Amino acid sequence: MPILSLVTFLPLAGALALVFFPRDGRRPARIFALAIALLTFLVSLAIYFGFDGGSAAAQFVEHRPWIGHGIDYHVGIDGLSLFLVLLTTFLTPVALLSSWRAVGERVKEFSFFMLLLETGIIGVFVSMNLFLFYVFWEAMLIPMYFLIGVWGGPRRIYATLKFVLFTMFGSLLMLVAIFVVYAKFHEASGRYSLAIRDLAGLNLAPHLQLWLFVAFALAFAIKVPLFPLHTWLPDAHVEAPTAGSVILAAVLLKMGAYGFLRLGLPLFPDAARELFPALSILAVIGIIYGGFMALVQKDMKSLVAYSSVSHMGLIMLAVFSLTVESTEGALYQMVNHGLSTGALFLCVGVLYERSHTRLIRDYGGVSRRMPVFSAVFLIAVLSSIGLPGLNGFVGEILCFFGIFRTDKLLAALAVSAVILSASYLLWLFRRVMQGPVQNPKVQEFKDLELRERLVLVPVLILMFWLGLFPGTLLRKMDASVTEYLRSVRASSAVLETRTSPPPLALAQPGGGPAAAAGGRR
Amino acid sequence: MTSFLALAPLLATAAGALVVLLIEAFGRKDNKDALGYISILALLLSGFFSMRAWGRGFSYFGSALVLDRFALILCLVFVAAGAFIILMSLKYIRNQGANFGEFYALILLSVAGMMMMASSGSLLVIFLGLEVLSVSSYALTGLKKKDPKSSEAAVKYFLMGSFASAFLVFGLALLYGAFRSLDIEAVRGALLRGTGTAGVPGWAGLALVVAGFGFKVAVAPFHMWAPDVYEGAPTPVSAFLTTGPKIPVFAVLFRVLAPLWSRAGGASVMFWLVSGAAILTMLIGNLTALRQRNLKRLLAYSSIAHSGYILVGLVSGDGPGIIFYLVAYLLMNAGAFGALIAVSRKGTEYVDIEDFAGLGFRYPWIGASLAVFLFSLAGFPPTAGFLAKFYVFSAAVRQGHVALAVIAVLASLISVFYYLRVVVFMYMRDPLASVEIERDDPALYLVLFLCLYGVIQLGLWPGTLMVVIRQAAASLF
Repeated sequence: MPILSLVTFLPLAGALALVFFPRDGRRPARIFALAIALLTFLVSLAIYFGFDGGSAAAQFVEHRPWIGHGIDYHVGIDGLSLFLVLLTTFLTPVALLSSWRAVGERVKEFSFFMLLLETGIIGVFVSMNLFLFYVFWEAMLIPMYFLIGVWGGPRRIYATLKFVLFTMFGSLLMLVAIFVVYAKFHEASGRYSLAIRDLAGLNLAPHLQLWLFVAFALAFAIKVPLFPLHTWLPDAHVEAPTAGSVILAAVLLKMGAYGFLRLGLPLFPDAARELFPALSILAVIGIIYGGFMALVQKDMKSLVAYSSVSHMGLIMLAVFSLTVESTEGALYQMVNHGLSTGALFLCVGVLYERSHTRLIRDYGGVSRRMPVFSAVFLIAVLSSIGLPGLNGFVGEILCFFGIFRTDKLLAALAVSAVILSASYLLWLFRRVMQGPVQNPKVQEFKDLELRERLVLVPVLILMFWLGLFPGTLLRKMDASVTEYLRSVRASSAVLETRTSPPPLALAQPGGGPAAAAGGRR
Repeated sequence: MTSFLALAPLLATAAGALVVLLIEAFGRKDNKDALGYISILALLLSGFFSMRAWGRGFSYFGSALVLDRFALILCLVFVAAGAFIILMSLKYIRNQGANFGEFYALILLSVAGMMMMASSGSLLVIFLGLEVLSVSSYALTGLKKKDPKSSEAAVKYFLMGSFASAFLVFGLALLYGAFRSLDIEAVRGALLRGTGTAGVPGWAGLALVVAGFGFKVAVAPFHMWAPDVYEGAPTPVSAFLTTGPKIPVFAVLFRVLAPLWSRAGGASVMFWLVSGAAILTMLIGNLTALRQRNLKRLLAYSSIAHSGYILVGLVSGDGPGIIFYLVAYLLMNAGAFGALIAVSRKGTEYVDIEDFAGLGFRYPWIGASLAVFLFSLAGFPPTAGFLAKFYVFSAAVRQGHVALAVIAVLASLISVFYYLRVVVFMYMRDPLASVEIERDDPALYLVLFLCLYGVIQLGLWPGTLMVVIRQAAASLF
């Protein structure tokens, strides 16, 4: 059964079916969209259980002729993309359920675009053909553009246009780079191909690689976003509806990091090697800058948005460090960041629905009125900080292990991420949840209702699960990550000086950092 | 093979035009729609003859008319364009006070002119076709007799167009002097061999021909007339003028100029001239469109910008890409103008961007179609507009014109802003109560549906069409 196509296009089919729903009824559209999203999640679970963690090759591959001239319908999944797909299918129903009340009008259209977005994102992660990748990468902008622009806050139009134009600027230059790679491959081999695997075998001249890598890296860095290209992010986050913020932070940003892993490095290894130190410095600046900016935000959503800049900086630094630990840590941290930042946005959404303000100073003492919510919020905060026992810890420690082996100075600077995130998040918690109740509105707050618990509890369970049993993820990605680093190292010998030999534990199947991290508990 | 059948597509259209004129003159006056249907019938007949001639290589008048595959596929596109325009005008011209049978005849005559251009084997016949096309277009532009803007547009178009024709004739004369022939194959052969027979008169002749054609399709710096004309003309005519002439003109330019690019040394002067015009056209079209609040004007400038993209394909010598681009542009542009026509009621047209506020949710189907056409014009996947740009720009890169491709994509980034701004108004602003539109125009909705279908179909599965187009382009060499 073409299970990957099913997961990718089931939401699209659902969206198309939604078109024929009556315009005024909210409930049928909501329930139908949620059912489709849940169904997609269930189907995607089959991918997880059927996925062979011992193999580095792409699995569930479907390869069919499409447009011709190297443009094929070619999808597959490996250890790098598996969890990003699962994260998407997991968070889409969560986001849909969370907007049950927040989105009161144009529900049908809202659900339509959410499902469309899901198809776009999954498509990016499973594409094995550069053309297909680009189509999904760009097509996904349209639903996000509508989600922010129609259901967003007061400055939504500015935010959504900025988001689209920033992203397109990067991706259009990437498109030209894709043309160049396409032409070069045709020159070299006499046939047309845009299969990522084929293109990775292309030995391009170093200076050409440099230009092409810059074009790709720009597209990805804008998406991540890497300092100083992050300015669209706070605007988009603050104006987006809760569900949009959740998907934006949890999954969309990962597309950039994934792009570096899937394309940037394998296609242009020499250029990547040359530019990674510089990019690492940008990542560190992002970590520190994002952290300090988060400290001074008055708006809860922009605080979480800047914390995303900081956290994504750490993930990128780990990606650029090119060790097994840091790469696995980065992948792990992508999932973690998706869960914890997603949860934080959901929590902000819960508060916003009650008082229609996101300013921190309008709150205080919320925990008295909402004890259950207070516990949930605290867990999300601690997960984001990286408290041992929760998911964030595993990812961060792996990242730091790897980064430390590559560059001690950068590692030392990057550790500030932990301190900074502890300060701004705990301070946020103190100001919002504790202390005396100042705002009379807060007196009337009711604790989480059943729907909100259904939204938040699955996320919390995953946080604990991934904190206590990291093998769940790591075992499935070991082989792919090792293979990925091996191929990078094979094509650029100088890397040997930057990274030590592969860690010993990886020889045993399912072992490696997974076992190490598990053992630490 | 010399056969009278080579004339069949052309004759069917022209005869249709005459029949319509006669009925208009002597027939009953009450039902003008019938004239529209007769015209469509004539077009379909012409399309039928074109399909029958596929692969037969008919020619007539001593190869002054050659129906090779390249010409035939273009004829089919003209048939589609003409039929779209007629279908979207049936109600429009009744509502906007321009209900003349001549309208249909003029559309048919322009289509005949375009067919002449596309299937011509001689530069002189191209000129003949262009004049038939132009004169009908001038008349079509001024069809709203009581609207001063329409008359102004017609006069402007006529004056500018005559200038362009003069350039063209002068260029042809010089070419004749340089190559001692007006036969396209002879000129192509001379250019291909690069025998240097051309000399200064030859180059000057080519440049003037390019300039004359550039005038007709609003390539910068010859674009000044276009926005006023497209704004003033009746909307279906604007739709026709923005797409119609582009197709034969770019096809002819490709036919004549293609040998230049394949020559070693890149035929420097012409290359720089044409790519300079391409850059200028893309930038001027897109940057000026940014400031437009009248949607007809916005689409006019967007049409100029698209001419620029097609020029990129022209200097890259990508014949199939150009044809695909023209087909895609026909679909999305006719669709966008069709949606504009749909947003109107008797005696009133809504063209200001403010009028479109909140329209997307009030009229979901019209809004969604317009949005799709705009996304396609902006080049978002998975629409035909994206693939068109993909083919043309990737051909530019393949020929080593990377800088040109970079400028082209950045120009289309600019265009994203103004296309999306229309969508912003449609979906992200509160509606204006005053805008009420009539929704009873099945013919128009059929066009919208066909365009929508085409834009998406060609965006996802262009394979079949591309096979045919590649065959057609291959017949040139």
